[in-house]
This record gives sequence, C-alpha cells and structure tokens, in this order.
Amino acid sequence: MAISLTSFLLPICLFISLARTATLTYDFDVAWTHANPDGQYNRPVIGINGQWPIPSIVATKGDQVIVNVKNSLRNESTSLHFHGLYMNGTTHMDGPVAVTQCGILPGSSFTYNFTIDQPGTYWYHSHVRGQYPDGLRGPLIVKDPENPFKGQYDEEVVLTFSDWYHESMPKLMSGFISIANPSGAEPVPQAALVNDTQNLSVKIEPGKTYMFRMINIGAFAAQYVWFEDHTMRIVEVDGIYTEPMDAEMLYVTAAQRYSVLVTAKNDTSSNFAFVGSMDEDLFDVFPDGLNPNVTGWLVYDDTKAKPEAKLIDSFDSQFDDFTLVPYDKESIYSNVDQSITLDMKMDNLNDGANYAFFNDITYVAPKVPTLYTTLSTSANATNPLIYGYNTNPFVLSQNQVVEIILNNDDPGKHPFHLHGHAFQVIARSEEEAGAFDPNNATQIAFAATPIRRDTVLVRPNGHIVLRFQSNNPGIWLFHCHLEWHMASGLAITLIEAPLTLQSQLSGKIPQDHWDVCKAGDVPVVGNAAGNTVDVLDLTGENKSPGELPAGFTGRGIVALVFSCLSAFVGMAVIGWYGLKPIEKKTK
Amino acid sequence: MPNVFAVPVFFICFRECLECSIIVSVLLAFLKQTLGPKHDAAAHKRLVRQVWAGVGLGVLICLIICAGVIGTFYTAGKNAFEKAENIWEGVFALIASIIITIMGAALLRVSKLRDKWRNKIRKVLDDKDTSKPVGGHFKRWSEKYAMFILPFITVLREGIEAVLFIAGVGIGLPATSIPLAAICGLGAGALIGYLIYKGGNKTSLQIFLVASTCFLYLVAAGLFSKGVWNLEQDAWVKLAGEGAAEAGAGPGSYDIRKSVWHVNFGSPLEDGSGGWGIFNSLFGWQNSATYGSVISYNLYWVAVIAGFVYLGGKERKEVVSDTPEDLSETSSSHAELAGKKTSEEGHVVESNIREIRA
Repeated sequence: MAISLTSFLLPICLFISLARTATLTYDFDVAWTHANPDGQYNRPVIGINGQWPIPSIVATKGDQVIVNVKNSLRNESTSLHFHGLYMNGTTHMDGPVAVTQCGILPGSSFTYNFTIDQPGTYWYHSHVRGQYPDGLRGPLIVKDPENPFKGQYDEEVVLTFSDWYHESMPKLMSGFISIANPSGAEPVPQAALVNDTQNLSVKIEPGKTYMFRMINIGAFAAQYVWFEDHTMRIVEVDGIYTEPMDAEMLYVTAAQRYSVLVTAKNDTSSNFAFVGSMDEDLFDVFPDGLNPNVTGWLVYDDTKAKPEAKLIDSFDSQFDDFTLVPYDKESIYSNVDQSITLDMKMDNLNDGANYAFFNDITYVAPKVPTLYTTLSTSANATNPLIYGYNTNPFVLSQNQVVEIILNNDDPGKHPFHLHGHAFQVIARSEEEAGAFDPNNATQIAFAATPIRRDTVLVRPNGHIVLRFQSNNPGIWLFHCHLEWHMASGLAITLIEAPLTLQSQLSGKIPQDHWDVCKAGDVPVVGNAAGNTVDVLDLTGENKSPGELPAGFTGRGIVALVFSCLSAFVGMAVIGWYGLKPIEKKTK
Repeated sequence: MPNVFAVPVFFICFRECLECSIIVSVLLAFLKQTLGPKHDAAAHKRLVRQVWAGVGLGVLICLIICAGVIGTFYTAGKNAFEKAENIWEGVFALIASIIITIMGAALLRVSKLRDKWRNKIRKVLDDKDTSKPVGGHFKRWSEKYAMFILPFITVLREGIEAVLFIAGVGIGLPATSIPLAAICGLGAGALIGYLIYKGGNKTSLQIFLVASTCFLYLVAAGLFSKGVWNLEQDAWVKLAGEGAAEAGAGPGSYDIRKSVWHVNFGSPLEDGSGGWGIFNSLFGWQNSATYGSVISYNLYWVAVIAGFVYLGGKERKEVVSDTPEDLSETSSSHAELAGKKTSEEGHVVESNIREIRA
C-alpha cells in the first residue's frame, strides 16, 4: 500500500509546529511573608512560594500557560488577572472576582489555563478588592520570535515601577471608604520603587542597545520616567507595537506598559541615573518627608560613582501617547455600531462615604458572578436587566464596532482599563475641555491611524473616546485602574456576545471553578440576585447605599414645624406673663 | 453692605438700649412724680443728676468692656482658638444664652421695681433730715446714692447682656461690621425710648416690653441651639478632618448620622453675609440641623415656658404691702387714684406718665 505523502508529512509538520509552542506550568502557593523594599519599614506582603517580589511569568507567543494557584493566605480570598491578555475563548480565566469567577478561599485551589497569542509586555495581579498593592503583582512578558524590532536591540531588561504603602490595604481601604473621609481623599503612598526595590543598578555595556520593558504595577501613583542623558525610543505600548518615536520623558499611569529602546553610550567614563517620579497631582495631601522619586542607575562602570539624580524644572517634556501610531497602521474604525456614553463623577451616599459613579451608578458586585448568570439564563442572557442594577451592565452584540465616550466630571486624572481588548484611542481632550461634543469640529478631527492600548489616561474635567471591535465573546470589566476608585465603584460590566459565550463555554467550566464557589457558598445560577425562577425579578440583589436625601425629609419638616410651634407657644407664654395684671391678695 | 453693617448686632443694641431708656424714663418720671415741683426741688434736681450720672458711667464702662472683649476676640483671640473655634463658639453661645434667659425676665416687672425705689428714696430723704447713721458706712452711701446706683447697675446689666449677645451671634461676622450697626442700634433705642417717654399715650409700653422680651428669648433660644450645634460640629470636624472643610455646605460638611435636615443652600457659614446669617443670629437657623440642635431648641422653650408659668403662679400667691399708693399699681379695674381714670391700655405706667402731664 502506498502511504500518501500528505498523511506522512502532515503529522511531521504538526509535530514541528507543536514543538515551537510550549506549555508552561506555574505552581503558585500564595501566602503572607515579610519585606522591606524601601528600607524604611518591614511589613507583611503577599508572596508566592515564599518569595517576594513574586516571580515573573515569561512566555513566548503561542504558548499555553497553566497557573495552579493555591491560597495559603488564611485570612483573605484571592484571584489572579492577567492584565492585557485578551483571553479569547477563555473569559472564565480572566480573574476578576464576581465577574468571571468566585474568590479563591483560603485553603482552596484554582487553575488558570489559557493560550497567549499576543506578544508584548503585560503583568499579572490579584483581582480581589484592594488586594494587589499588598504585593501580589508581577511582570508577565510574552516574547515574540517575529518581533519587528528583533535586530535592533541586544538585550531585554524588565523594569517595574510602583508606589508603596507601609500600612496594609484592608486597613487603608476601611479608612478610605468611610464617613470620616467624605471627600474621598486617597491614601498617599510612602515611597516609590523600581523592581520592588530602590537604588537599582542596571549593568550596561557600551554601544549596546537595550529594550527596557517598563510596567507600572502600582496601586495609584502614575510615574514620570526618564533616563538622564539617554533618549528612549518607544516601540510598544500595552502589547501593541508602535512606529518608533523618541521621547525624553514618559508619563506612565498605573497599569500601563511601555517598551523603549535605549542605546548605551560608547564610553564608560560615567554612570547615569534614571528616575521614576510619582505624579503628586494625584495626592490629596503632601506629607513632610515623603520622597516621591525612586532612582536607579545605568551602570557603565561600577567603580565609578553613581551620581545623584539631577533636579528638573518641570515635567513639560512628558511624551503624549496619543501621538503614537500603531506599527500595523490599523485604520480608525469609522462606522460605529454601538456607542456607550459614560459620565463619571464622585459623590457621597447616605452612609457618608465617597463613591465613584458612571451614569449615577456605582459598581457593586452581584451575588452571582456575571459570567455564571450569562451561562445559566439561556435566551434571557441578552437582557441587561438580569445582570443587576449596580453592576452597570451593557450587552454588546458580536463583531460590532463599539464606542465608549467617557466624560470625566472630576478634577482628577484617571487611567481607564478595558479587559479582553485593546481599544483605539480616538480622542483625548485637554484638561477642562468638558464633555465630548460630537458637533464640535476640533473635537472630532480624529487621527487616521489612532494608537491602540488597554489602559488610557483621561484628563481632569476632560473626555476620551475609545473604539474597539466586539470580536471576543466574554464578560469584560471596564474600570478605573486606581485601586481606590475600583473599590469605590468606578466600573461597568460589558457582556459581549452572551449567546455565543453560552455555546462556547457551557459545560466547559472546570470543576475547580465550581468548587471554589461552593466553598464560599456563592450561588452560581440565576440573575444578579440569584433568582433562577424569574430572572427579571432582582429583589435581594446587592445594592449600594442609598442616595443622600435631596432636601427636607419628613423628619426634617416635622422638626422644623415643631420648633416653630415651640417658639410661638413660648412667646405666647411670655406675653401672658408680661401682660397679666399683678394681682395682690388684699386682706 | 454686610461687611460694614451687621443686622443682628443692630437689633440687639436697639433692644438693649431701648430697655435702658425705658427704665431711665420710668425712673425719671417716677422721681418727678414723687419729688416733683410740689416737693423738694433741690433733692429732685440732685437725684435727677444722680440718675444721669449713673447712666453715663454705666454706658462708659460698657463701652470699654465691649471694646475690650471684642477687640481681644478679633485680634489675638481668633487666632489663638482657631483650632478649637467650634468649642469656643459653642460654649460661649450656651453660657450667653443661659445668662440672658435668667436676666431677661426682669424687665417685665418694671412696676415692681418702683416699690424698691420708693423705699430707697424714703431712706434718702430721711437720711437727709437726721444725722443719725443708719447702718454702716457703705449702706448709708448706697442709700444716699441709690438713684445713681440703680440706673448704673441697670445700664451695666443691659450693656453686658448686649456684649454677650454680640459676642455670641457676632463671632462669625467680620469685625468691621459691628461698630456701625451697634451705634445705629443704640441711637435708635435711645430715640424710641425718648419718644415713649414723651408721647406715651400712643404706645402701650407694656406691650412694647413684652414684644421686645419675646424677641430677646427668641434670640436666646437660637443661641442655645447654635451652641449645641457648634459642639456637635466640632466633633464632626475632628472626625472628618480636611474633608469637612473642603465640602462647603454640601455632602461631607456634616455628620449624616446625626442629621435631621440638610439643604445645600442657606448655610450661615457659607452664605452668612446674606439673609441666612441674620436668620441664624435671630432664630438659630441652620442649613444642617442635628438631633442635638433641634432637641435643645425645643427643650429651651419648654424650660422657658415652665419658668414663666412658675413665676406667674408664684405671683398669684404673693402678698404685696397694701399702702394706699400701691393700690394705684393694679390694673384697670382698680382706679383708686383720685380723679384719675386709668387709660385704655390699662397699665399703671401710662397712668403715671399721664398724671405728670395732666
């Protein structure tokens, strides 16, 4: 019998292609340990396998990654989110608690299993309320054999930038969302770190070009980053390759990434400092003794001195990422199928605390994780009502161009992040520009090839316009990546192609996902209130505290009327006493 | 306008000066009646001069105290207790309110003073005739100069009431707004008092006294409530820190757990220069009322009502000395004074004044 060539060659080809992609398995035992990265204070931190900083995940494009998480924290649930990965077909591995999974309780285990098809610089972190700044965050690098800049650099160096708090997050969080903090003043960090330490030395060889993969893994502070006397050439942002552009100084918000090429000088006569400087505009108060800067050095010759970082006059040379052009020159999505306008503000509710709102709704996690609601409600899954009021849900149809217009009615800078996608940054206004006005000619002069990324800054009292394609069925959060604001409710839920999601994932959720829900007594079927019988009945859903009364309540009117009454009666008695004749008893 | 003329201060000075001028006018009229042209002209003249001397010195000392208190308050004081501003305001308002409450009722019984005065004058006249010392040195001196001491003490008392009031309601007002308002108030009070003395049959003095006393207690009730409110506000500011100051009159400027009502407008602190500040000074209005401020306001009135009812009840049981002249002090149904009909208003003070003119 003749064996056909194709049936012989095909398995060989398959074998070759399989050999190029790997399966990486990580076993992470998440537990408390101690660390003192700024040399000022030894504090408990969340480490992995007894070490902190936690290990980096390094993969190659096309790899399958398996992360087995065991929670040994004893007092907190946990989860992991792989920031920037689209999780195509694996939305249940995305990580946010109450959105795509239940929290992994102490003692429980959970496996994340996904394939990475996108190269670039990413990071992974806890997606339990307010947890990751206690240490559970680290780099996730995806190497690319077909990197367009392959020949242009000699070595890669990962630099993480972060703010750092001495107090632990649960305590800071309870002080932040509290009646005693009515203005919502965010806690100010105590230090800035590079690679979770300070005074880092990076050995540099003359003449070589280095690609620095820079990630802001902080909770709150954006950082200005610059290398003294060296220019940075931007080649990638948030996993999207860009046309190379030179920059003297970068502004990196929390959760953003930049890959830059830096060419070393040809002589080794001196070393050069590089600086991460926290943006103090974000800080409500500026405590004495706070050093907002962290310094590192490009060390050409370690026998030479490491000079102090030079003071600079201003941050005006910061690079505007809006001017970047994606390397693939993808053109702007000009026909919008669905447009979502989000007006954000910060305000107080009737518990006295300060919350954040999109369209007057502050995010509160539902009783049933949103993904499980989609999977258990068949045809009703396309009805946004079933997902609850405070999850702020928007249902997207598949393969549409979706536009998000975000109007920032707050005098603060905010970095917004979309799970599951990179979006085109169509417009970003200056400060104080107000809401987006589609009739304003200057505001709609969009670029032909706008930059794409997954975390973008909106300026104080300004607006941004973002567009993406809904080609990734899943449940995706869109939220502010300042951890304080995530906790105070600045998030919406996008339910993208729920019916397709049902056909993709029904019956395919691994058992350990259900097990962690069971361990926490979390319902996994029904609408946001756990109602399986009538999914339009949301009685019992999780809601935010109520609004402050708009003026006089019944109680107030009664009090005012009663007080006026007492005054009148009092005056009548005075009148009686004053006018009454002074009688005498005569005897 | 609000920065040079504080309306609450005007009203307070007006009222206090009015009280003084009424008492002085009654005193002068009384002297004229008892020591009038038919009697000892020299004694009359001397005593009248004493009255004016007492008034004058009382006014002078009041002005000095007033200037001193307010001056230190606004220069040194305000900085010294900025941190504890709410506590100072609160405690001061409470004390001022209590003192004024106790003192304020006295004016309604002006007529009762006349007995005391009559006895004192008798002693003065007797003392003049005999050379025997009546009691000790001071006692003799005080009896001799009773007509000086009486108005002096009255003016001093009313003046200190005014100072307490002004400090209580004026703490939040700019210092420049007080002098002009005070002077106008004093002037207006003196003028009205003089007019009452002259044209008494047109106005019912006692009704006027009742009205001004009602006003006084209204302000004192507001002060009491404000005092409690200030103390609660101090606790809130200590809890919320910077956030409370930043919030102006909106959410965050008050403790929602203790709130009875809150409206974002009408704050005496933020919009104090307008009508709301006056509303606050006169009636204790707050845009953000607490259980404490509302309950204390009502309890104050309950206490005042109880107090007046008690006083009224007590009087009913009193036995007053029954000399024939005293019968003239009864109400319209007892027109004992020969040939004199009591007026339509029916009160003895009017009839006294009318006597003099008759």
